[in-house]
Amino acid sequence: MHSEDGDLWEAFAHYNADADGTVNLTRDHSVGGSYSGCEAMGLFWGLQPAPGAREGLRLRKKNVETPYVVHVSLLEGHVSPSEEQSNELAAVTTERWYMAPGVRRIEIRKDGVIGTLFLPPGTGPFPGMLDLWGMGGGLVEYRSALFASRGYASLSVAYIGHKELPGPQNKINVGDSYFKSAFHLLQDHHQVCADRIGIIGLSFGVYLTLRLATNIGVKPSCLICVNGPVGSTIKLSDDDGRTENFEGDQKYWMYDDQGHVSFRAVSLPANLSPESKVKIENLTCPLMYIVGEDDLSSSSIENADLIEETLRAAGKSQLFTRLSYPGAGHLIEPPYSPNSRSSLWSVKPKKLITLWGGHLAPHAAAQEDAWKKILDFMENNLRR
Amino acid sequence: MSLERCLSFSRAALRSVCFTKQHLQGCVHICLRRSSTMSQAATPILSVFPSRALVDEKFKVLVENLPPGCPVTIHSLHHSEDQDYWEAYGHYISDDRGKVSVSDDLSFGGTYTGKEPMGLLWSMRPVPGSRKGLRLRKMNVCTPMLMDISVYSRHEGFRDQAPLASVLIERWYMAPGVRRIDIRERGVRGTLFIPPGPGPFPGLLDMWGGGGGLLEYRSALLASRGYVALALEYFSPGELQTAELEFNYFETAFNIVKDHPQVMPDRVGIFGLSLGSIVTMALAVESRVVKPRCCVCISGNHCFPPGRTLAAVTGEVDMNYDKVRVDENNHHIWRDVGLAIMREPSSKLDMGKINCPILLVNGHDDQNWPTVESAEDITEMMRAAGKEHLLTRLEYPDTGHLIEPPFSPHFRATNFIVNLTKEKVIMLWGGQTKPHSDAQEDSWRRILTFLQQHLYCSPSPKAKL
Repeated sequence: MHSEDGDLWEAFAHYNADADGTVNLTRDHSVGGSYSGCEAMGLFWGLQPAPGAREGLRLRKKNVETPYVVHVSLLEGHVSPSEEQSNELAAVTTERWYMAPGVRRIEIRKDGVIGTLFLPPGTGPFPGMLDLWGMGGGLVEYRSALFASRGYASLSVAYIGHKELPGPQNKINVGDSYFKSAFHLLQDHHQVCADRIGIIGLSFGVYLTLRLATNIGVKPSCLICVNGPVGSTIKLSDDDGRTENFEGDQKYWMYDDQGHVSFRAVSLPANLSPESKVKIENLTCPLMYIVGEDDLSSSSIENADLIEETLRAAGKSQLFTRLSYPGAGHLIEPPYSPNSRSSLWSVKPKKLITLWGGHLAPHAAAQEDAWKKILDFMENNLRR
Repeated sequence: MSLERCLSFSRAALRSVCFTKQHLQGCVHICLRRSSTMSQAATPILSVFPSRALVDEKFKVLVENLPPGCPVTIHSLHHSEDQDYWEAYGHYISDDRGKVSVSDDLSFGGTYTGKEPMGLLWSMRPVPGSRKGLRLRKMNVCTPMLMDISVYSRHEGFRDQAPLASVLIERWYMAPGVRRIDIRERGVRGTLFIPPGPGPFPGLLDMWGGGGGLLEYRSALLASRGYVALALEYFSPGELQTAELEFNYFETAFNIVKDHPQVMPDRVGIFGLSLGSIVTMALAVESRVVKPRCCVCISGNHCFPPGRTLAAVTGEVDMNYDKVRVDENNHHIWRDVGLAIMREPSSKLDMGKINCPILLVNGHDDQNWPTVESAEDITEMMRAAGKEHLLTRLEYPDTGHLIEPPFSPHFRATNFIVNLTKEKVIMLWGGQTKPHSDAQEDSWRRILTFLQQHLYCSPSPKAKL
C-alpha cells in the first residue's frame, strides 16, 4: 500500500496450500516473511517501508475521511517483494477505514480550543472521550474517528506544534484553562452525555490527562493512560501548566551508536519537574494504565509503579488497572497498524531519529489486546 | 444527574426522520427526548457488522445495554435514487442480559417474523404513502446503497418517538478495485466490469429482460466475485419493437468479452434473466460463431423461433396478446401468452442441440411466464438428445419471476411499459416475499458455485483470491 506521503509499504508471508488447494490465513501458518506462525492480520501489522524508502518513516493517517487502500496479491512460490517480479496469480483490493459510515467529523475552533470532534451516527446522546496525544504535536484524528465509529463522541485536541495555537510551536503555550475548556466543550455538546466522559492520553498526554483529572476539578468518569509520565517532562513556565521550549534541556537525552535519541530517561519520576507532579492520590475515577515493556521513549514501567504505589497508599487500589506487554514499545495505537521501532523526530537543527522501541509481532499483539480492553473499560465505565 | 442538565437535554433540538412520504419531503421535526431515558439509564448500543459490505454479504445486527425483557423495534430505512423511501422492521424483546441479536432472535412481527438475520433488507417495501408499483434497482453502482438501521422503543406506535440509537451502513455492488468501463464498440452498447488483479479471468455476457435499458448491478457483483462481466444494453425501455436486433449483435457482444486481453477466451459464459434468458439459450443452441462455456438462465424460456430475430420473438408475444389476463388489482398476467406460444413446436429452440452446461432457475409462482413448464419441455428435449447431464434445474416454491441477487426486496408487481401498446401497466411477477427471498439467497449461492465449477475449476485451475 501507499501512505498518504506516497511511500510504499509492504508485507509478505510464505504459505503452502493444503490438499484442497486452499490457503486460509485464519488457520494456516506462515513459514517465513514479515511474520511467522498463524497471524490472520499479519499482512497489515507486518507492513514495513519498501526497500529504498526514506529513513525514519512512520505510518499515520492524516485524512481519516478516506480509507487506506491495500492491495493483497498472491504470488507464485516463496518469494520476497524485493526479488525479481514474481508471477502474480491473483489480487484483491481492500479498504481500511478509521471512520464508519455516518460518523460526522466537525472542526472545533471554539473558546480558543483547536480540535476535531467525531460524532457517531444517530441522535445520541453519546458518552464522550477527550483524546490527547504526545509531544509530536499537531492534531491527530484517527483514534477519535475510531472511537466515534464505536459509538463514542470523541474530541481530539491539539496543544503543541499546531499553527493555529498561540506562541512558538516548540512550547506549550496553553494552560489548564485550555484543557478545561476542551472538556467542557465536549460536556456541553447537546449530543454528549455530560456525566459519561472519559479521557485518554498517550505519552505526554498521560500527564495532561492526570493533571486535568486531579488538579482542575473536572470530573471524568474514567481515564486511560498509555506509556506516559505523572509529571511534566519539560520545565513549566507558569503555574497554569505552560512550558518552556521542549528542546531546552537535553541532559537526559540518550543516544545510541547510530545517533538515534531515546527520551526514556527524561520521564523517570526522579527527573520530572517536581512542581508539575500530579497528585495521584486525589484521583476519584477508575484509571487504566497501559505499559509497553520495551518502551524506549518513556519510563512507563517506573511511572506505572509510582501511580500504583500512590493509589495503594491512599487506599484507592480498586481504581487502578494495569496492562503490561512484553516486547511492546511506546506507540501502542489502534490495532493492526505497523509499529515503528524508531522514526524521524525533527529535521531542524539537524535530522534526528528517535527510538520508540517495540518489536513487530509482540507490539502488534499488544495493540490488539489493549484495544479490546480499552473498549471494554470504556463500555463498563461510560455506558453501564 | 442534575435536573438542570436533564432540562437542557429536553430543550435541545434534535432532528428526527418521519416515516410517511408526505413528512419525509424536507421536513425537520423538532423532537423532545424523554428526559427519563437520559443518562440515569444506560444508553443502548446498536452495532451492525460489517458496516460496509457487498450486497450479497450477510450482516449481524446487535443491540446491547437495553433493560431485560424490553420491547424494541429494529428498523431499516433507505432513500432510493428515485427519491422513494423503503423500509423494513422487526419487533423484538431483549433477553435477560438486555441484548437483541437479529441473527439469533425471533421477530414477533413487522415486515418479517421469526429468525431472519437479513430480514431488515429483503422485506423492505415502500413506506406508506409511496407511489405504486415501485421497483428498487441501483443504477449508479459506483456508489453504495445507504441504509439507516435504528432501534426504537416499543412495538406498537414505535415511530412516534426518536430512535434510541441509529447507525448507517453501506451496501456495495462493486468491490474495491473492480474497474468499470463504458463499452461503445463494434455497434455494441454496454458496461464492462473487470475484477482487480492481473487476470486472466473467466468472462460473462450478462443480459436482463423485457424492461430494456442498461442495468449494471448484477455485472458489477459478478466482477466482485471474480468474473469479467459485460452488462449489455440491447434496447431502450419501451423500444423493443423498433430496436434493430440481429442475432450478431449478441454474438459481437460475446466476442468483446472473449477477446478482452484479461479474459480466458475458452471460459466465457452467458447469464440471462427473462428475455435475456431466451437470448442466452438461442446463442447456445443456434450460434455458429460463439461457444459459451456454460449458461445461467433465470426465469427464462426457449421460445425463440430458429433463424429469426429477437423482434420476431416479441412478434409472437404481440400475436398472442389477447391471452393477457388481469387479476383483481388490474395487474397484468402474461403466463397464458407464454403457454400459447409454447404449444407451437416451431416457436421453440431445439434444446437437444445444446453442448454446454446450462443452469435453469425458476419460480413456481411466476405469473409473467410459464417458466417451469418451459423447463419441463427443455428437460424432455435434452433427455431425448442424450444431453440431460448438461442440465441443472433450480426451482422454488412461491417464488416469482424477478429472481435477483440476495437480500434485494421482493417485487410482486411493478410498473412496466408494454412494448406493443406503449401503455404503462402494472405487471404481476408473482411470488410471496419470504419464500421468494429465500429463493434469491439460495439460488445466488448455487449460481456462483455453478460458475466457479464450470469457469474456474480444472482442467486448468486459475488461482482465486
